[in-house]
Amino acid sequence: MLNKYNCLKKLADARGEGDVVVTTMSVSMPWAELSDTHLDFAHVDSAMGHAADFAYGLAIAQPNRRVLCLNGDGSTLMCLGTLVTMTQHPAPNFTLVITENGTYEVTGSQIVPGAGAVDFAGLARAAGIEHVVTIASEADFDAHLAAHFDSPGPSVFVWKIEKADEPVPKPSRPIRDRAHDLRAALTGG
Amino acid sequence: MQASLIIEQLKQQGVTHIVGLPDNGARILFEKIWADDDLTFVGVTREGEAFAVASGLYLGGITPAVIIQNTGFFETGDAFRGTCYNMGLPIVMLMGYRGYQTMVPDAPRVDTAATFLEPTLKAWDIPYSLMHNDEDAHLVADAFADARQRSRPAAVLIVNHTV
Repeated sequence: MLNKYNCLKKLADARGEGDVVVTTMSVSMPWAELSDTHLDFAHVDSAMGHAADFAYGLAIAQPNRRVLCLNGDGSTLMCLGTLVTMTQHPAPNFTLVITENGTYEVTGSQIVPGAGAVDFAGLARAAGIEHVVTIASEADFDAHLAAHFDSPGPSVFVWKIEKADEPVPKPSRPIRDRAHDLRAALTGG
Repeated sequence: MQASLIIEQLKQQGVTHIVGLPDNGARILFEKIWADDDLTFVGVTREGEAFAVASGLYLGGITPAVIIQNTGFFETGDAFRGTCYNMGLPIVMLMGYRGYQTMVPDAPRVDTAATFLEPTLKAWDIPYSLMHNDEDAHLVADAFADARQRSRPAAVLIVNHTV
């Protein structure tokens, strides 16, 4: 199993200057401690299950940047159709990470439906996504770290992570302000 | 309602990407969009995705429009609220008004997709207008102007089938 915090640290260290990182739920606040620029967008106080499709829109609009979305397993299940949507107009610069630990971590670690049984990599492949990798060890993570940024997208990485106990994420600023800062950073306007 | 007039209006507003899910009433509109080399269509599996994708497109510097039907709109609540509404984005949605014609006195069957629609739009704080015929094509531009001025989403309801 992976330690989420170690993975996020390695991902932040490897991330390119112009890359966009969209986070949600139990990953958003740990990520903000590593990187909190206008290109880091916490999809929090937002729409449940819609971080991936939101990030996919960003990727289409910004084809010269890598766009990563760090999504949970529960969040992925809330809008499973997005795995199909993202194949219909493929964005080669889009990477979706599914952090899988089988719990709704920020609401008290309740069990996600299908925990331990759902094959997220299989779902992604069945949806038509060609580059799909499941990572369950630190060694595998290190081996695939660069691919998070340079594999032909849309790519899906399933991180098998340990259970943890993150509180409800509380971004320091309203989503409206963060959204408009992101647009300004991406468009220069 | 001529689909070509709607497309012309969308292009005049700088729209390059259409995000949506086809319906019967807007069938011709979708077919003309798919055939138009200047427009990119991003199809979604459920209408809620349309607002999330469109919000990402807009923040990335693109002018999108969302095209869905009222039935699917009811499913979008949290997606709409949590993306373009809370973010304050001037995203315009065109929405097929299924059942509009059933809202007459003594109708044998009233379509709740119609009767629920305008109260829901009001409850969700979405300004809207009704597009009945070709003379109403300017409502698309009006919706964009309102959305941009107030930095929030707006809707145009397509009452009749597009041709």
